Amino acid sequence: MNCDLYRSEMYAWRPGSDEKSFQPLFDHLDSCAECARLFEQLTASDENVRRTFQSYPQSPFLESRILSGLVHQRAQASARRAGWRLWMLAPALVPLLIVLFVWVAPRFEQARLNREMAILLSKPPALEINSTDRKQLLQWSASQLEGPPALPAELDKVEFRGAAAIRVAAHKAVLLKMKNEQRASLVIVDAPLTQDNRFHPMQEGSGSSSLWSDGRRSYVLLFNGTDQELHAYMTKMGIIA
Amino acid sequence: MQISDHTFDDWVRQYQRLLFGIAYWWTGSRTDAEELTQEAFFQAYRSRSSLREIEAVKGWLVGILRHCYAQMFRKGHSRIEIPLDEVMEKSGETIDLRSDGPDPHDFLALRQALERLDERHRLPLVLFYFQELSYREIAEALELPLGTVMSRLSRARQLLHECLTRPVALRFVKKIRKVNGL
Repeated sequence: MNCDLYRSEMYAWRPGSDEKSFQPLFDHLDSCAECARLFEQLTASDENVRRTFQSYPQSPFLESRILSGLVHQRAQASARRAGWRLWMLAPALVPLLIVLFVWVAPRFEQARLNREMAILLSKPPALEINSTDRKQLLQWSASQLEGPPALPAELDKVEFRGAAAIRVAAHKAVLLKMKNEQRASLVIVDAPLTQDNRFHPMQEGSGSSSLWSDGRRSYVLLFNGTDQELHAYMTKMGIIA
Repeated sequence: MQISDHTFDDWVRQYQRLLFGIAYWWTGSRTDAEELTQEAFFQAYRSRSSLREIEAVKGWLVGILRHCYAQMFRKGHSRIEIPLDEVMEKSGETIDLRSDGPDPHDFLALRQALERLDERHRLPLVLFYFQELSYREIAEALELPLGTVMSRLSRARQLLHECLTRPVALRFVKKIRKVNGL
């Protein structure tokens, strides 16, 4: 091998390198004074370069800057995690909200209806039309509401003596006073306030009432008397069997 | 791997000076080195779960620093060659030039020599001399094959020694002595 090849070997060598693999280099250095001098220079220069590398500017505030930056990063990450946790809860919260809505909303509606019926029982509105003509009264009622002037079959036997337009639960409604029973009145509301056509008895402070629906309109029979008296009246008029 | 915030903060205290030193010799600028070191620690914190062994933390941090360095210069942050005396005036750098410290001539010569080297030679060279990392550690940090690192380092050392034999302008030496009150 010539000296040039050994010189490139010198640059591959470093203190602590495997001596065996560099043995040909050391053998050559023993026999070539020029390469031995160059190797000595290189080793000395290397040592000087190593020492020079250790002298570089200081950055006294760098550590505190990094640490405070990390604090900021952690705070941001924590805020993001909190946000995600809220989103993760959403699938659980949505059904809960739906259940609450389904369960609570009808109860609010019912409570409101009860209050309004109690007011109608204790302070009935002044009649706007006085007539015992059932057909005329029903036509007048239909003009206050929307739809045909017809009543469900269970009310076929009932006769009226007057009517008044009112509002119940924010819906258009009419109150019809019964002809043969001073204590009874029928409220027709232009909205389905209940989902089925069963009778829902409501006990008010000054009387009783019963709510049912034909799917389009709601009917409330108000009665200034006990629940039993209302029941007896409804049976007598063929409203219930 | 789970790394607590407390452990990570300890690593910042332990390795920030090392990373800053490497970044300084890579970039030749204190400001860039500070920016790189900070970014490397922030990225390391975000990807701390990627560390496989606690013992490999030093090499892992140097690897992240190398990524940040590549990102910084990919974003158009180029190494602008500013005369050394100008750099020192602007950044207010003071270099440890006590009587037992390195010769200012050697310091300037090294900085100039590193500036002349291209990146593929400069990066392993700094790790080789500054941290005296083994060839294997350098290969891992730079994500290069061992043989490539060895051949690049051999060439880089040769180039460095050639550069160092060229004289440094005397006015820089005078300037650095003045800055350091020597």
